[in-house]
Amino acid sequence: MKKIPVSDIQDGMVLSREICGSSGNILLGKGVKLSTAMGRRLTNWGIPFVYVEGEEESPEKKKEVEVLPDELKNQLMLKFSNVINNPIMKKLFVTVYQYRLQKSR
Amino acid sequence: MALKDLQKTIENISSISTLPTVIERITRLLQNPKTSAEEIGRAITTDQALASKVLKLVNSAFYGFPGRISTITHAIVILGFSTVKNIVLTASILDVFRRKGTSDLADFDFEQFWMHSIACGAASQSIAKFLGNKDKEECFIGGLIHDIGKVILCQFLPADFIDAYSMSKKEGILFYESEKKLFNITHEEIGGMLAERWNLPKSLQNAIKYHHCPLPSRDYYMNTAVVHCADIFVRSLDYGNGGDDKIPAMAENVWKNLGLENTSLTTLFDNIEDEIEKANVFIQL
Repeated sequence: MKKIPVSDIQDGMVLSREICGSSGNILLGKGVKLSTAMGRRLTNWGIPFVYVEGEEESPEKKKEVEVLPDELKNQLMLKFSNVINNPIMKKLFVTVYQYRLQKSR
Repeated sequence: MALKDLQKTIENISSISTLPTVIERITRLLQNPKTSAEEIGRAITTDQALASKVLKLVNSAFYGFPGRISTITHAIVILGFSTVKNIVLTASILDVFRRKGTSDLADFDFEQFWMHSIACGAASQSIAKFLGNKDKEECFIGGLIHDIGKVILCQFLPADFIDAYSMSKKEGILFYESEKKLFNITHEEIGGMLAERWNLPKSLQNAIKYHHCPLPSRDYYMNTAVVHCADIFVRSLDYGNGGDDKIPAMAENVWKNLGLENTSLTTLFDNIEDEIEKANVFIQL
């Protein structure tokens, strides 16, 4: 089983966990075959992720994705380097880092 | 460079600038309660380039009436005198901003500088809105032109400008720290002098003169503090570049007085990014 964003749904993928709506009602049951058209509908319903059958991404690929946080951190560190000992700026640094990391995902 | 030389340079700049004539005439008209929308419209339309810029801005998503306003008079009726005055002020100051000059500016990226200015204006407006500050339009202009001193340096004393720019890069310090070391005067003071000569509203003079240290702004403190904060946020969020790669420290009094300690900064950042998106019209102006 792997978790993928709705935008990554491809024709023929099989749901490995049911999708529930905001009130807990089941929208699509386990084992249903998905299509890109259904993916678009799920987006409209506000569903961000689904669980489908298949292997998790390989560790190497995962590693590639994880490089980003470090890069962002280094880039921000360089900008903040002269003021990072200032408590307000330290707080701002952490907030900005988390915010931009969230945005880039 | 001696302060006296600089002051002389600024006097020359003021005398060649066309800014005051248009602005002064329109400001005078707007102060008179008997002035009609048609009269203002006529005054603006005498300067065709200005009029077309005003219409372009009025019809952008930034002011919320995309493509529906075709005359200045109509704009005044819909948006009100004060908003139109601010748009005219913005459009005429932008002329000064966009004049690149002909000198070689090493690898200084004017487009990035421009982006920093626009983002700072949009962020100032967004922060003002978020905090319930009623002067959001003036905050926008304040943010947009806070670095006008750098523009003056860049256009009229390009060699000095490049010295400060290179020093900031090489030593990893802020632009105004380089200026202080090299000339013992900064773009805040230079911009402030010019703003005073141009008779810009006092709140704008203060936003320009004290954006790195808002406390002396006194009566205009809140607007200056907003611009100070916007400058730091925009650098953090990586919009454009004002000529250095560092972030100035947030003044403790600004952090406290704007209540940022108890604010959801991420919500504020979201608002700022939306506003910057809308302000993109200024890039094409």
